[in-house]
Amino acid sequence: MTHTIHILLVDDDPAENLIMRGVMKKVSSVEIHLHYCQTIGEALAFIASGTSVSMVLMDNRLQQCDFRETVPALRQQGYIGPIGVISSSLADPYFQKFEEYGADFRIDKGELDPTAIEFILREYVTRA
Amino acid sequence: MRLLIVNRTLKWCSRNTWGDGRDVTTDLKNHRQYYCDSDLEKALNRVDFFRIFHTMALRYGFDHFGILQLGNEGDACTLTNRLALHDLPSGLSDAYDKRHRFGDSVVFKSLHTSSIPSTWKAGDLHPGGNLLDQLGFDVLICVPVAGITGARYAVLFLGDGEGMERQAHFALCYDAICAFDYFYRLVLSNKAGLGLTPRETEILRWISHGKTASEIALIVSVSEHTVNSHTATILKKLDVVNRTQMVAKAIREQIIQ
Repeated sequence: MTHTIHILLVDDDPAENLIMRGVMKKVSSVEIHLHYCQTIGEALAFIASGTSVSMVLMDNRLQQCDFRETVPALRQQGYIGPIGVISSSLADPYFQKFEEYGADFRIDKGELDPTAIEFILREYVTRA
Repeated sequence: MRLLIVNRTLKWCSRNTWGDGRDVTTDLKNHRQYYCDSDLEKALNRVDFFRIFHTMALRYGFDHFGILQLGNEGDACTLTNRLALHDLPSGLSDAYDKRHRFGDSVVFKSLHTSSIPSTWKAGDLHPGGNLLDQLGFDVLICVPVAGITGARYAVLFLGDGEGMERQAHFALCYDAICAFDYFYRLVLSNKAGLGLTPRETEILRWISHGKTASEIALIVSVSEHTVNSHTATILKKLDVVNRTQMVAKAIREQIIQ
């Protein structure tokens, strides 16, 4: 029996929402309900609304800020679920400090295939 | 000339101190000459190592990898419990364990009789059944590896291809050994006796104040998963079995007041 997992994608590029939906559909072990917010403001409001969110996938750069500001903002809102930082490049040195900013993991967008999604859900959501 | 030798020696022995107080010896650059090195140097947690091994499997034409803990061959064991990290399809190892005894498989037994890398193919006759036929793959490469403490593991690569050329096989073995070395030191090794990081000490202090994991997550602005992960590490480092003993020992050793 599969159960539904709610993932919030925060990314300023709507195309990423479409791509991610395609990836999530290929995950067969669980049913994923993908929510989408384009700005950190929308994401904070979404969390504040009390909607159940099992995991957040946060784009590194959102307009003028990066995960070093957005992830702590989500934590300040009281979100204690897993947050993964996604980016098209993890090369910047500050990614080495992602844990200090309250993120749980980082992953390249190009590496987010159904196998990686299943692994992450196993590690952070279904096992918890 | 003398100075050069000293410098080379220092470079070879140079030690980097990680955030949790461990010293990680950095080898000479020419000991690690493949491009995966930078990823290994940057890897911090299980997701990072999943990315490294998963990418490695795909790069060599395999579909999946698994890191298998070896140990007392006589112990009853299941595939699920022996896998320290893997990207197998969800539920595959559980389904296998319901039908077969992994401890009886020829592959598992052979990993306890030899540390030579091996290649296995579907269709070969094995007493008790062929592991690959049972799992639904065509080829399996086993790379036996060991942690710095001597703990034995094997890195497995599974796929539906034809196997590998000799040079590619050598390269895969080298990459798997390097990646496992990092994985073992950073994730798998028993950290008993090592010092606590500032974040671990902070979490320990909140535990001593009776806070739950979710409360601590809110206070220190991390996920509940991270709090539980730090708590597990503290248990290992202090060599204790529960939170009560953890706090008692921390007070006794004046880690917290």
